[in-house]
Amino acid sequence: MKNIFNIIILSVFVICSTYAGGPWPQPKGKGYFKLSEWWTVFSEHYTDTGAKDPNLTTGVFNTAIYAEYGLTDRLTTVVNVPFLSRNYMNNLRSATTNEIIVNGEAINTIGDIDLGLKFGLTKGRIPIALTLTLGIPTGETGAGSLNALQTGDGEFNQMLQLDAGGGFNLGKLSAYLSGFVGVNNRTNGYSEELRLGLELGVGIFNQRLWLSGRLNIVESFKNGDTAETVTSTSLFANNSEFTTLGIEGNLYVTKNIGISAGVAGALRGEIIAAAPSYTVGIFYDMNR
Amino acid sequence: MKNLKFIILIIGVGLFTSCIKDDFVEDTIEATLRITTNLESIEINSKFQFDAMYLNNVGQETDVQLEWSSSDPDVISISDDGLAEAISLGTAIISVTYTEADKRYEDEISLSVGEATVQGVNRISGNITSTSSYVLEGAFVYSETSSGVDVAFMEDYNASTALPGLYLYLSNNRNSIADALEIGAVETFSGVHLYSIDNVAFNEYKYLVYFCKPFNVKVGDGALNF
Repeated sequence: MKNIFNIIILSVFVICSTYAGGPWPQPKGKGYFKLSEWWTVFSEHYTDTGAKDPNLTTGVFNTAIYAEYGLTDRLTTVVNVPFLSRNYMNNLRSATTNEIIVNGEAINTIGDIDLGLKFGLTKGRIPIALTLTLGIPTGETGAGSLNALQTGDGEFNQMLQLDAGGGFNLGKLSAYLSGFVGVNNRTNGYSEELRLGLELGVGIFNQRLWLSGRLNIVESFKNGDTAETVTSTSLFANNSEFTTLGIEGNLYVTKNIGISAGVAGALRGEIIAAAPSYTVGIFYDMNR
Repeated sequence: MKNLKFIILIIGVGLFTSCIKDDFVEDTIEATLRITTNLESIEINSKFQFDAMYLNNVGQETDVQLEWSSSDPDVISISDDGLAEAISLGTAIISVTYTEADKRYEDEISLSVGEATVQGVNRISGNITSTSSYVLEGAFVYSETSSGVDVAFMEDYNASTALPGLYLYLSNNRNSIADALEIGAVETFSGVHLYSIDNVAFNEYKYLVYFCKPFNVKVGDGALNF
């Protein structure tokens, strides 16, 4: 097994997904494309007891391209490429002497790429879609003097996700509600995960601005390795789980092009960063 | 054009907030002077070199000018550089002092002169306790060996396996590993186990410190109460 650092950093990526998501495949030949920046800086984390403990201030920044494209009216390809991923840790200094005790470090590499296929199982008032996502371990799994910096988890995971949802009117406003349940099969000793999510969106200003709220839950099956069962010097953390709540706004500045901004944070967690994450982006929607 | 400005803003925000900055650890402690020679008695008509260490306000060993003295030079005499000579049967207190500005640091041990040189107490017990939310507990025995020291953990030792990169150190500052001796990565997370550390004097360090390397935070500690 490779040395694997903390899932804390990787798990926070999930907190504030930039994905459009939902049970709606793209029509054939249509697509949705987004360039976004996602980041979090945290000096506390949730421990295995759910309490918050301090850690050396750590930052994770992802610049990514996300794309959905309809191969047919039912089958959509989904790609997320964090083409620039930065992970850094602060210097640790003595408050007494101001001397550096531990030097800060940073890496800038590509992150883990996600490739997926979304298949529309049913149409109608409450469409259902099935998505298979493959997590390709293209990121760096351990850099810096302690192998503690990473932009990927070094494992090839496969997630099967079932989405359902529907549109409705909220007074004079258009709205949608969608949810998903997924199982993430992980390799390299990581525990499998159950993933649940709920999203409510409302279109205002004649649907030029969409505001959405997202609830995401990840529950670990806790069937993977721990620091005790891997090689003694591995920097291994596993069994991360959390419940996060996020809000995001998507504003169409032209008919097809828009900008987005969002924030999310964990309501509870185990082995995960205890700080909000942020995202801003620009998107191109071929469906309008 | 508006979109281009937005992209530049995104990159700007990223660059501005992603620089390596400084975190600070509160590591101020009381400076101390400690005699590291561990003796109970000294053989008559023999000589013995005494050692002491001054630890500054972060627990860092610092070279300073020491002054040695004996409460009864007719029993044990001691030179300026700490070389003691047992002259007659009896008991004396060997003291070492260091004065910095208006502050005076002192340590002393009581020694008898007898038929043989006898080492002082070279085995103590203590407890590890967690200073974080991670489980870390258990009793240990710290003892002197011919080549250094042993740290033996008892059956009640228990450490969380959720934490990556847990390391054990010997330190003179319970809040910092800046000048600590790294014993090694924790490989046993429950029950009896032993660490043997060479070239360490019995009372050279004051604390066992557990530290998570990747997070750079202290997880727990145990005092070595000599």
